[in-house]
Amino acid sequence: MATAVRPQSTTLADVNGAAMAAMLAAGIGALAMALFVILNEAGMFAAPTLYGPAGGVTGRTTFATLVWLVVWGGLHTRWRARQIAPGRVFGLTLAFVGAAVAGTFPPIWGLL
Amino acid sequence: MLFSERSIWTMVHGIGLGGAALLGLAAALFYLYAARPVPDPTGNETGSRAFAMVTVFSAVMLWLTVIIGTYIIFPPYRATPPPGTTDLSQFPRALVLANPGTAWLHAFAMEIKEHMPWIASMLTTAVAFIAVRYPGTVLRDRPLRTMVLTLLAIAFVLVAGISLLGVFVNKVAPLD
Repeated sequence: MATAVRPQSTTLADVNGAAMAAMLAAGIGALAMALFVILNEAGMFAAPTLYGPAGGVTGRTTFATLVWLVVWGGLHTRWRARQIAPGRVFGLTLAFVGAAVAGTFPPIWGLL
Repeated sequence: MLFSERSIWTMVHGIGLGGAALLGLAAALFYLYAARPVPDPTGNETGSRAFAMVTVFSAVMLWLTVIIGTYIIFPPYRATPPPGTTDLSQFPRALVLANPGTAWLHAFAMEIKEHMPWIASMLTTAVAFIAVRYPGTVLRDRPLRTMVLTLLAIAFVLVAGISLLGVFVNKVAPLD
């Protein structure tokens, strides 16, 4: 009796581009969130409010989410069949996430 | 009625969805830390499917938490009381800002809660995608496993901290 065999999963040795794209895009999306927050607090740019009762947070979070998805789609398209140096991508991702957490931390705004 | 609609939504947001996300992240973290993958005849590792499922579950719970928090919980929290209102119990933001001792709950805690959860959601979604796309590799490949573990740990710390701040806010100015 023939046994169905699931295809072996994609190995990192083949291509890791999709994984790297997902990581870096998350870092860039997080950084975008912090940038929208800081620009808003500095009075330089306010993302439009998308739902009045909830206020400006709806615009900031939606815009940042859109940046994340667009960047992810772009990186995924370019990298999905490629092997990407993971160390540099992961380092960048961590740096972006660190900056994002700092940028969305209210005491930082007080320094503006 | 024992609980108001606003109170029920708060519990769904914080305890139901947020709690489920936190449990899912903890389970995924522990699994990734403790599991020692054993290849099966198909080349996949035992447990890789379970890991993928728990990360997807965590990501979905987190997105539901942040969307409900932003669009359903936040509006009544930030509602402005009519002029002359003395009982601020139905206006949590005004209530915490009225007391210098609790004003930090808005200026610090709620400001963090407005944005940081979205970052945790993005990170968890990236991990879930990797767990689904590379089900065996994410457990077998040490560098990728370390990267995923790190992102999960960051997301867990963020969500745990944000949840704690939510408890503080809800303790002082509950949405009743």
